Amino acid sequence: MALVLAIETSCDDTAAAVVDSALHVHSSVIESSIDLHRPFGGVVPELAGRAHLSTIGPVVRRALVDAGLNPHAPAIDVVAVTSGPGLIGSLLIGLSAAKAFALAWEVPFVGVNHLEGHLFAPLLERPGLEWPMVTLLVSGGHSMLVLQHGPGVHEVLGETIDDAAGEAYDKVARWLGLPYPGGPEIDRLAAEGTPGALKLPISMTGDDFDFSFSGLKTAVVRATEKNPDVALADVASSFQAAVAEQLLRKLRRALEVHSDLKGVALAGGVAANSALRHGVEGLAGEFGVASFLPSMAMCTDNAAMIAAAGLYRFAHGGPSDFSLSARPNWPLSEVS
Amino acid sequence: MNILAIETATPACALGLRTSDGFEVGWVVDDDRHHTEALTSSIARLLAETHLRVRDLDRVVVDRGPGLFTGLRVGLATALGLSEGTGCALVGVTSLELLAHGVHESGTRGTLVCAVDGRRGEVFVQTFALDQGVTALNDAAVAKPRDVVIEWATSGAPVTFTGDGVERYLRDFAAVPNGQVERQLVPSIAAALSLGVTRETVSHVTPMYLREADAVANFSTRQRS
Ligand SMILES: [Zn+2]
Repeated sequence: MALVLAIETSCDDTAAAVVDSALHVHSSVIESSIDLHRPFGGVVPELAGRAHLSTIGPVVRRALVDAGLNPHAPAIDVVAVTSGPGLIGSLLIGLSAAKAFALAWEVPFVGVNHLEGHLFAPLLERPGLEWPMVTLLVSGGHSMLVLQHGPGVHEVLGETIDDAAGEAYDKVARWLGLPYPGGPEIDRLAAEGTPGALKLPISMTGDDFDFSFSGLKTAVVRATEKNPDVALADVASSFQAAVAEQLLRKLRRALEVHSDLKGVALAGGVAANSALRHGVEGLAGEFGVASFLPSMAMCTDNAAMIAAAGLYRFAHGGPSDFSLSARPNWPLSEVS
Repeated sequence: MNILAIETATPACALGLRTSDGFEVGWVVDDDRHHTEALTSSIARLLAETHLRVRDLDRVVVDRGPGLFTGLRVGLATALGLSEGTGCALVGVTSLELLAHGVHESGTRGTLVCAVDGRRGEVFVQTFALDQGVTALNDAAVAKPRDVVIEWATSGAPVTFTGDGVERYLRDFAAVPNGQVERQLVPSIAAALSLGVTRETVSHVTPMYLREADAVANFSTRQRS
């Protein structure tokens, strides 16, 4: 059975994992530099790059040792690495290290699209998934609805036309004076509030599958200025409900239009959000399809999902060349 | 001892290899590709041509800067992957000392100022004394080229300037009446190989940035993905 070492350094997490070709995860290590970025209210690319450079060695070594391998001569058959999209300075470190490991071990390496990695995450927890399925991929950097005809065969139905959902969470959290990153904070607060307490518009009610969240952020700012007495928990709850409502409307629409769908999945950091998880489960029940809600560890960035996507890409397209460059803006639609 | 040297602190990408049977080669990878595209494939080619494998290497010596951050990252991450992947030893040298040793090799003696282009109108600079050996007279620092030029023109002491930071501001540096310029764009890969043999090995090479990350970042932040 083939063993893959995967490396992921596209944003602020330095991650490495060892996964076999049956998608059994032998090890998965994640080192976050989020504490360095917190005072700035967002990821500072230069800080992230420097952190990756100092943590990548220990992170890879731990992933190999945790998998029971000799770090200096591991029985690795292929090295997979995120080569885009992401922060260029961060991507370069994982990519350069991955090439060097592959050269040192005399094995092939393969560049992986980070978004495709997210789409493969559910496979690591439920190998018996059925296609076609639709995946709501929502994170700090991305919000998209993806139709998957099979593993690695996907079609972007719609995406955000402005801010990503996670970006809107962080911006609203900052406006409310909550610490960064804002998503978990708003989720926590929202549990204590009433969703309809603040009237917020639902944007993008058209027939397409695109999202828009920047207007919602502005609406929260206006509404809280107008009603300064509304409790923070109620604001959080109302905002969260409005985000979930928009995402779920489009998901419902996908289920209506594509009647052959067998399942719905959530992926990306915002998939940890409780309102969204409840909503997706509800929709799946209503349409009689399977729902897949990955564990927290699989929602957020990790290298095991890069390993899964890398195994697929290696099997179907062969290895990448050592001259491969990082693609900071590599769209999912250009992956094939 | 089989030793590989990696140099990516300047826009050039250079490699060196010295083998236990006395073969030595230094190579400036002369093409327009970025470091990330050129480095690993060039190392693979160099090793293949000398019939060596990465696991035959005893040491990897890498320029840890100061220099261009993108290049340094690629060079350091590559060196780290090669050494972590095989367990071979790692040695870090600085771009400024490589420049100094390069000039020393050419026979020049006296006071030497090495300057690496740091972009943003600044240079990374350090002063050395060249006699029988090479001795650093101060710590590496970031400076405005104009300030360096004024300092030396005012002192009147004989001085030699070298490095791509001098090249970038050649007119200013060449105007120092008590100074001379020794042209050298790429830190010496031969010096990296000799220092790599004698230097203590390290478990982790830390880059010499000389600039604070938040100053570099200008507080611009990105969304998590
Ligand atoms: Zn992600």
